[in-house]
Amino acid sequence: MSTAPTSTNTPLVCWNCHERTVGTHFCSACGKLQQIPQSLDYFALFEMPKKLWIEMDGLEQKFLQLSWKLHPDNFVNATEMERELSLQRSSELNDAYRTLRDPVGRVEYLLGIEGERKEGEKKQQAPPELLEEVFELNESLDELREAKESGGDLTALRVSLEAARGNFQEKLVEVDGQLQSAARDWDAALTADSAARKKIMARLNELLNRRSYIRNLVTNVQKELL
Amino acid sequence: MAYSDKVVDHYNNPRNVGSLPKADPNVGTGLVGAPECGDVMKLQMKINPETQVIEEAKFKTFGCGSAIASSSLATEWVKGKTVEEALSIKNTDIVRELSLPPVKIHCSVLAEDAIKAAIGDWKKKHGIEVQVAEKASH
Repeated sequence: MSTAPTSTNTPLVCWNCHERTVGTHFCSACGKLQQIPQSLDYFALFEMPKKLWIEMDGLEQKFLQLSWKLHPDNFVNATEMERELSLQRSSELNDAYRTLRDPVGRVEYLLGIEGERKEGEKKQQAPPELLEEVFELNESLDELREAKESGGDLTALRVSLEAARGNFQEKLVEVDGQLQSAARDWDAALTADSAARKKIMARLNELLNRRSYIRNLVTNVQKELL
Repeated sequence: MAYSDKVVDHYNNPRNVGSLPKADPNVGTGLVGAPECGDVMKLQMKINPETQVIEEAKFKTFGCGSAIASSSLATEWVKGKTVEEALSIKNTDIVRELSLPPVKIHCSVLAEDAIKAAIGDWKKKHGIEVQVAEKASH
């Protein structure tokens, strides 16, 4: 790789030749496969800026190129160190590709590396304006389950649940649109000050919460309607 | 994952399941939810406006065993307490009582939030009512 990594510029020392190396994957001096630097995030791994709009063809191209280069088959006759590194890096590459390919996973990941989204640490509030509807939906789901068990008439319940499902699916589409627009804001603010970026990240976080909530609901309704 | 005996007990015999009339001026309703698991919890309490004692508490929770146990325990605890006493209940008290594992701490947080939300709703109703009553008496 001739280009320097985009978001990590700390010089690292090659395990093999002990030279300082600036290559993302291979030593710039001796060409040996390098360990995964701690600071290397998925965006840097693909040598891309931390933008949320990613051109899919470009990402796939880079993924295929890198897979080719890092693949364990290339290291069958290499040292144990290199074989191990090739395994590690290939598996990391797969994780990175899977994450960045998914528009929602990408946002989650970005907020994670920016320290804006930590599992369980921050108290995340459910969208309050949805709670009433969510509660009612859960009650209807309960009724449907009970009716199923007792062999009662399901027709009316099904109709109302299908309406509820449609309603929440619409909300899902809406929140995806909002997420896309917030992602565009993020890309446009790539060089803005940290306060502005934090604000956008807070918005993204809020939208992600909303989305996961609605998604769970749609999944639950779908399960019961099967 | 193994639930503690107390969680299992509350899950199998939940206390105070049901609802209170939402429109009753003495009833406060707290509706809270956790986005990470989709849990939703409704906690209602009937509060005596004179003594500020919580005379009745009901809940309905859609969620995991720990969420149900946390809200069931919350209704048990707030009954007979004054509003101020109930507000001092901390999620950590619930965690301790039910021996909740770290991954389930958010369930206890939800129960604490529900208590606060229900009392907040009652206070709001009460505040508005007091104003209306004052206006009416003028």
